Amino acid sequence: MPDPAVGTAIETLRADFRARLAAAATDRDLKALDDAFLSRRSGSVTALLKQVASVPAEARREFGQLVNALKTEIESALDDKRTEVAATRPPAGAVDVSLASRQVPAGRVHPLMRVRQDVEDIFARMGYEILEGPEVEDDYHNFEALNMPPEHPARDMQDTLYLGVPIPGGIWGAHRSTGARGASSEIAGRGRVPEAQVRAATLLRTHTSAMQIRYMKTFPPPVRLIVPGRVYRRDNLDLSHTPMFQQFEGLVVGRGVTLADLKGTFEAMLRELFGDVKIRLRPSFFPYTEPSAEVDISCQGCGGAGCPTCKHTGWLEILGSGMVHPAVFEAVGYDADEVTGFAFGLGMERVAMLKYGVDDIRLFYENDIRFLEQFPL
Amino acid sequence: MRALLSWLREFVDVPGTAEEVARLMSLRGFAVEAIEPFGPGDTVIDFEVTANRPDCMSMAGMAREVAAAHGLRLRTPGPPPAAARPPRTPARVRRKGPAVLDIVIENPGLCPRYVGAVADVEVGPSPPWMQTRLQAAGIRPINNIVDVTNYVMVEMGQPMHAFDHARLAGAEIRIRTARPGETLRTLDGQPRTLSPDMLAIADAERATAVAGVMGGGDSEVTPATKTIVLESAYFDPLSIRRTSKTLGLKTDASMRFERGADPGCPAAAMARALELIERIGAGRGRGALIDRYPKRMKPVVLRLRRERIAGLLGCPIPDRDVKRILDRLGFTLGVVAGGWRVVVPSRRVDVTREVDLIEEVARHYGFDRLPTTFPALTAAAPPIDPRIARARHLRELLTAAGFFEAVTFGFVAERAAAPFAAGGDLVPIANPLSELFAVLRPSLLPGLVDAVAHNRRREQRDIRLFEIGARFTQRGGERLALACVWTGAAAPEHWSGTGRPVDFFDAKAVVERVGQALGAEVRTTPSQEPWLAPGRSAAVMANGARAGVVGQLADTLVDAHGLPRSDAVYAVELDLDALAPLAGRVVRVEPLPRYPSVTRDISILIDDTLPASDVRRTIGGAAPPTLVQVAEFDRYQGKGISPGKVSLSLRLTFRSSDRTLTDGEVQSAMDDVLAALKEAHGAVQR
Repeated sequence: MPDPAVGTAIETLRADFRARLAAAATDRDLKALDDAFLSRRSGSVTALLKQVASVPAEARREFGQLVNALKTEIESALDDKRTEVAATRPPAGAVDVSLASRQVPAGRVHPLMRVRQDVEDIFARMGYEILEGPEVEDDYHNFEALNMPPEHPARDMQDTLYLGVPIPGGIWGAHRSTGARGASSEIAGRGRVPEAQVRAATLLRTHTSAMQIRYMKTFPPPVRLIVPGRVYRRDNLDLSHTPMFQQFEGLVVGRGVTLADLKGTFEAMLRELFGDVKIRLRPSFFPYTEPSAEVDISCQGCGGAGCPTCKHTGWLEILGSGMVHPAVFEAVGYDADEVTGFAFGLGMERVAMLKYGVDDIRLFYENDIRFLEQFPL
Repeated sequence: MRALLSWLREFVDVPGTAEEVARLMSLRGFAVEAIEPFGPGDTVIDFEVTANRPDCMSMAGMAREVAAAHGLRLRTPGPPPAAARPPRTPARVRRKGPAVLDIVIENPGLCPRYVGAVADVEVGPSPPWMQTRLQAAGIRPINNIVDVTNYVMVEMGQPMHAFDHARLAGAEIRIRTARPGETLRTLDGQPRTLSPDMLAIADAERATAVAGVMGGGDSEVTPATKTIVLESAYFDPLSIRRTSKTLGLKTDASMRFERGADPGCPAAAMARALELIERIGAGRGRGALIDRYPKRMKPVVLRLRRERIAGLLGCPIPDRDVKRILDRLGFTLGVVAGGWRVVVPSRRVDVTREVDLIEEVARHYGFDRLPTTFPALTAAAPPIDPRIARARHLRELLTAAGFFEAVTFGFVAERAAAPFAAGGDLVPIANPLSELFAVLRPSLLPGLVDAVAHNRRREQRDIRLFEIGARFTQRGGERLALACVWTGAAAPEHWSGTGRPVDFFDAKAVVERVGQALGAEVRTTPSQEPWLAPGRSAAVMANGARAGVVGQLADTLVDAHGLPRSDAVYAVELDLDALAPLAGRVVRVEPLPRYPSVTRDISILIDDTLPASDVRRTIGGAAPPTLVQVAEFDRYQGKGISPGKVSLSLRLTFRSSDRTLTDGEVQSAMDDVLAALKEAHGAVQR
């Protein structure tokens, strides 16, 4: 008869093995199981076999058979499990898909240029022509023709940077001639710009409004124009000023263009740019428009209730505008009794600061990659 | 214009708080810079007065606007409530009497009107109420006489001046231009040299004030002064502005005169000053008020058309509103066919055209009450400016190639610009803000390299930046350029070991990609730029003309921008205006190849100074037209290659559009190629 104690020990080992086998999932687990039960030195089945000497002689045979049967059973179960585990291994040549990828470098469009492209697109959809003008200008186009004769007090509103020497200037439009200096230029499909407009440049333009004159002197009404570009003023760098900044000039001229049209245009444009905002017009003064208006949008930070961003007024100044002054029409040879128009200037930095929550204008000109990469691809 | 609320209320019974007044006035064209508590229970509202409204640089002017905005009546202020002491005699100004002063206007063009009066005075401090009001307006009290002149200026907008009568030679005032080299010590103690285009107030002998700008120290009112000459005049705005600018002297008086004072005001202001002098017990006038006004200015009369108002604003404005608004602002209206005949008050120097009247109507009617419409489109919009379209295209191309767009200033320090200016062709700025912005940039690269340095200092090692913008030279004027800088990795660091730093050929690839995008065939040829590293500098040629540069920045430039020499910085700059005429090709699709191509590899041993372009040219010249492509695929120097030599391996691709090439003809072509390479370059096949 087998010793009941021996039978119990064997059953305990078997149960233990079965439980641990069920939990095993890797080669490493199986190796550990193999070691634990079958190792020559420390396996628990091996240890049980070694007890054969202490088994009474008449039971030895049976004891040996039982333990060996367990050993065979474990070996076979381990083999089966090994096959099973091997079947779950990735195929040869498989990659670890969780490893870091090889980065495709991606740059970003500058936030000011994002704003520029957004605004260009909005106006293009409204049927506006988009043109660039020269950054170096002459006094006539930047001031005089815009109803700011020499010594006009309004010139103080824009502290001008002058060139130490005059340089060839006045070239604008799409297809600049690459030939001799001071050559005329051509606008795609719209003919040549008159030579009379080509003057030596003596200053850095203080506003993109200079292009109003160049355009109207070249083309008859109606006009629907946007001029994006860099402008320069003698302002020191601080949180809200840079000596160079970027503007949009807008100009609409035709029969029956009104201040109400100006309001409607800004409402459509600013809503597209900023979402659901309210706009308001405040009377102001620019020498080249009459009436003139500053345009505010309701502060998004506080919803109009008042906060530090809007200096507790609920409104944020966003652009300057007005109805084109008859003196400007006279300067370019338009009949001020026949046509009316509106003009406006919009600062790209101002838009970008409000739209992206930038509180220091200098960030736009530091070109810090940590700043630039915050804008989406 | 700093307006004390209690003073404002002497002119108009304005209801509400300072904040409410400020809010309404900002919608009438007077932005509010600040609202400050002032003294017990009072407030100063600091209105921003635009350059066209000198009439509002006074309490009366602001009050008129406040009254019109609130629909209230304007009062002429009598004695201030604080002036408890009644005058010893009723204030009355004699218009006739013995002349005690001679006034001669020598130059009525620059001084159309001059009102003078003499008063016997006892100089001392002015009463506290007057001092308080001046302080509220931002003016420092001096003494009762000077304070009265300043008080009248703040109240009515008319700048005034007081001279010490005893210190004027010959009891005479001459308004004349300065004599060449004439000097004067102004009230601020500064010696001034006047020029003959400046207007001076002189006595019989010498200039004693710079007209409309500042009085002279020699005729200053002092505690010892017993008799004064008071001045209340109208000067030509342009002349005052020029003088003020030339002398670098901006005063409360010059600011008002240069924007345009009221030619109708001097006599009334003089009467008010004499009244106040008597009222505060500072003295009393002697003799007649003298008003020299040789050529009376005619009031501006304008026609205002009803349909023009509607045509400009986008809706008709009811007649009663037009009349009400203009009337409250002091305009006189007469009805004519289709509208009104409007007489402009002389203080409104800004109103010279019909449109100025329409602005007044719109301003006080309220911009918010105008309708919102959209301008009619009468023609299709022309296509986008090709220059702008091209910039957008390049922006997409370069950001996809890993470049961040930068925007840098159009001016740079002369030191930073100099290396980029061929022959020193720089455009200086006449009045730069600082040395850092002294010249217009001759290249976009100084700014971009600075941006690289900025990022390097902030733990960025792999930096790719580009900018599209104007650059300037004296000879060429303004030209549009594209520049790129690249330092650090070309391929980013990776666990597989594929990371690699940028080299010349990465930068060259950018040039070629831009060329492709613009439809221009670009080539690089050796050309040593002073700011590029020796041997790593090339000119970019497009259709035979120079269109840009590519290379590694020279150590001197790297050092100058504070960058480490260990990491090479590559730079590209292209003249987009030069490339522009090449753009805009018409796309015509070619048929796809119908026959297979044959490739042959060769390795040749050549001098290591021989440009690969020469090798390609020789191959192209020797091979039949079926050779469609030549590309280097290996270049080796080192073990087994003698010094001065290089092993260059090339892959040649042959294809015909009308047949399958035979082995024999390709082999024959290869024989010709090898023979030519041997002949031209002594090349040995390996």
